[in-house]
Amino acid sequence: MPLEVRGLTKAFGGELALDGVDLDIGAGEIHALLGPNGSGKSTLIGCLSGRLVPDRGSMAVGGKPVSRFTPRSALAAHTAVIYQHFSLAPTLSVADNVFLGSEHVRKGGLLDRRRQRAETQALLNRLGVDIDPRAPVSALSVGQKQLVEIAKALRHEPELLILDEPTAALGEAEARALGRQLIGLRNSGLSILYVTHLLGEVFEIADKVTVLRDGRVALRVDKQATDRGEILRAIAPAGGAHELSRSDAESPDGTPVLELRQFRAPGVGPIDLRVGKGEVVAVFGLLGSGRSELLEALYGLHGRTGGTVSLQGETFVPRSPSRSLRRGVALVPADRARQSVFADLPAIDNMLLPHLAAIGSPLWRSRRGETRTFTRTAEAMRLAPPVARAPARSYSGGNQQKLVVGRWLASLREIGLLLLDEPTQGIDIGARGDLYELVRGFAATNSRGVLFTSSDPDEVLALADRVLVIARGRLVAELRGSTVTAEAMLDQAHQQGEMAHV
Amino acid sequence: MSERHPNILASLTVWVRRHAAANALLIGVIALIFVFAYLNSQFLTTGNFRNILIQSACLAVVAVPMALLLISGNVDLSVGSVLALGGVVTGLLLNHGMAIVPAILIGIAAGTAVGVINGILVTVTTLSPVIVTLGALTAVRGLAETLAPKPVFNFPEGFVNLGDGEVLGVPYLALVAAAAFLIGAIVMARFPLGRHVYAIGVNPEAAFLSGIRVKRIVFLLFVVTGAAAAMAGTMLAARLGSAPSGSLGLGFELEVLTAVILGGVAFTGGRGKIFGVLLGVLFLGILQNGLTLQNVPAATALMIKGGTLIVAAWLDWVSVRSEGLATLLRGVGPKPEPEKAAIVIGEGGSSR
Repeated sequence: MPLEVRGLTKAFGGELALDGVDLDIGAGEIHALLGPNGSGKSTLIGCLSGRLVPDRGSMAVGGKPVSRFTPRSALAAHTAVIYQHFSLAPTLSVADNVFLGSEHVRKGGLLDRRRQRAETQALLNRLGVDIDPRAPVSALSVGQKQLVEIAKALRHEPELLILDEPTAALGEAEARALGRQLIGLRNSGLSILYVTHLLGEVFEIADKVTVLRDGRVALRVDKQATDRGEILRAIAPAGGAHELSRSDAESPDGTPVLELRQFRAPGVGPIDLRVGKGEVVAVFGLLGSGRSELLEALYGLHGRTGGTVSLQGETFVPRSPSRSLRRGVALVPADRARQSVFADLPAIDNMLLPHLAAIGSPLWRSRRGETRTFTRTAEAMRLAPPVARAPARSYSGGNQQKLVVGRWLASLREIGLLLLDEPTQGIDIGARGDLYELVRGFAATNSRGVLFTSSDPDEVLALADRVLVIARGRLVAELRGSTVTAEAMLDQAHQQGEMAHV
Repeated sequence: MSERHPNILASLTVWVRRHAAANALLIGVIALIFVFAYLNSQFLTTGNFRNILIQSACLAVVAVPMALLLISGNVDLSVGSVLALGGVVTGLLLNHGMAIVPAILIGIAAGTAVGVINGILVTVTTLSPVIVTLGALTAVRGLAETLAPKPVFNFPEGFVNLGDGEVLGVPYLALVAAAAFLIGAIVMARFPLGRHVYAIGVNPEAAFLSGIRVKRIVFLLFVVTGAAAAMAGTMLAARLGSAPSGSLGLGFELEVLTAVILGGVAFTGGRGKIFGVLLGVLFLGILQNGLTLQNVPAATALMIKGGTLIVAAWLDWVSVRSEGLATLLRGVGPKPEPEKAAIVIGEGGSSR
């Protein structure tokens, strides 16, 4: 058996990411690994590739159990891992990339490029693809790069190939082609562990399925012996129907906070949508469904948009963040580290940066006013520690997110519509509860509105009044009241966006 | 996971980080004064201090806006040539009989125009500021030499007076430099703009998404730097009594960068203090003056100045990296451990 994992356990800072996981992969099988975000998939792969050291348990490739791998010994044990983010050098040729770090050298120390090209060609032939080994990697499509990664892995003649969401960045046709190539590799005797979010893919190419949830194996089954419902329930065992907090209250009185008609933006639309006063509306979708693009377009990040947007009954054309803010529209973007936190600046600056002129005057800051606003907001948000001058870097992820959300909750200018893209990305349960409370409180006062995206059904159930499911840039379902279950949401999103991804 | 509150530790860490570089430099400036005073009896005279101030003034006027540019993550390498352009334009106009004030203003306007072009190229085309202003460095020097193929001199007395005159014992040029520092310090400390400049340097995308008009601010900084460089050109022309287009301000951009980085401004952006820049300018000015008094050959002085910059940048790196410098300076107590503090209030979730 190419891979046997027994009782693998790994904790981060007291929290178990993997809790006694067993996994068996037989020769010549494609094994799909599924699970919601944070279920331990990446940790498991990290241990198998030697990037992480497990706390307990053993792994065996080809029969010899070891307690840990290093990246080198993993390779020696004939395991090759392909990550979501490519490790290719774009300016080098395909052949140079395949042989990077393990070049063929002639006597005298010169590269034997002819031999490298020939062997690269052979590897690509084995995959059944037509790529010129001399082409620079930068000239290839994403799908072709993926195949070059696989060719690079095959060069080490692995018995087990591990792929971490290989189709996440691919279009539908490329994803199908990749599936066929993987089946081809399996038929030649290779074992493949395949991480994915896509049920469609699982049923097309996998032989066996393992679902992780909360660091444990929630389901282990042959593909032939299961169906979509069983897998969905293993991923999100929310059980029965869930009453949303405001059941099916009609959108309340008068003009909505936001109304979209035939709204179009790159990758989005046409969309009709309405956020009533005091409402918290979820846009649930998989990765690539257009959920982030919708919010970004409303904030004015994507240039021209089509259709009509009305804000509190007045026409609104999203053009740029500073203009949107002047109309009371604010966005908390999805990628905290890259798009919202100023790691080296103090907490108070992170929270109040857009409001300095409003707290004082455009030409003179009021430091006392800033401290007062910070203290008040930090207290309301239970920011820990509430130290104005500590750099954002020294805060935990959850508290950094509070600073960023607090940026708009502390606002002196009136924010009427808050857009939240994955509001609780990478933060722990306690901080999540705090944020949900904050956001609900925000919407409830002064009849404001909140539109947020999430790929986590539990989050949607905890926060939303109403759920819109988005797939391929369009809204495909509206769920309200007692019809909302995690399963229903996932089912809608998967059905409509079969080749899109959580 | 419980979250403890390292209030005091965090505040101390922040304080030390903020002040370590400036403190080291302050000690350096004082030490330099002591050394030169000991070596040379002429050093500690009012006349000599007046010289130091006059000689440092041009540097100071450009160092302030350059510091802001660096903090915002940009740089202007063209200031040496823009300085020459400002001096040459003003000098030519004076020699054509124009009155002093309009001649100076037009000279500054010429530099402002270069700043506008730099700013547009950087913000609209998103070319690297290094490339844009490297091009301007060469092109503007050529422009200055075209306008005045021969050195411009023989200025009216009133103009030359500006270069070495004084009011209440303080040279005019030193007053201009003081004004530059004052404005810079106030903008950075009390204007919302100051915080925005830091934010742009730390994370331009987050700044943009927070509604800060990043391009407008960067553009403004280039314009102000161009104007300041040209003004420094008129000041230098007044002091020297001539404006040689080929050599005026040659290598000036490197001197400005040396002073600014010496003053603890991060070349990578996001960090720096105007007070540090003041110390950096003074340190360079005193060093140059003292070495001249000691008859140290110009070639040796260059080596000393270059070495100082690298040592200063290294000390700054040490202080930011490990708080090592702070401990060294205070010579007391256990080392603050910022990394540990980060772990105490950190969490596993995001790093998995």
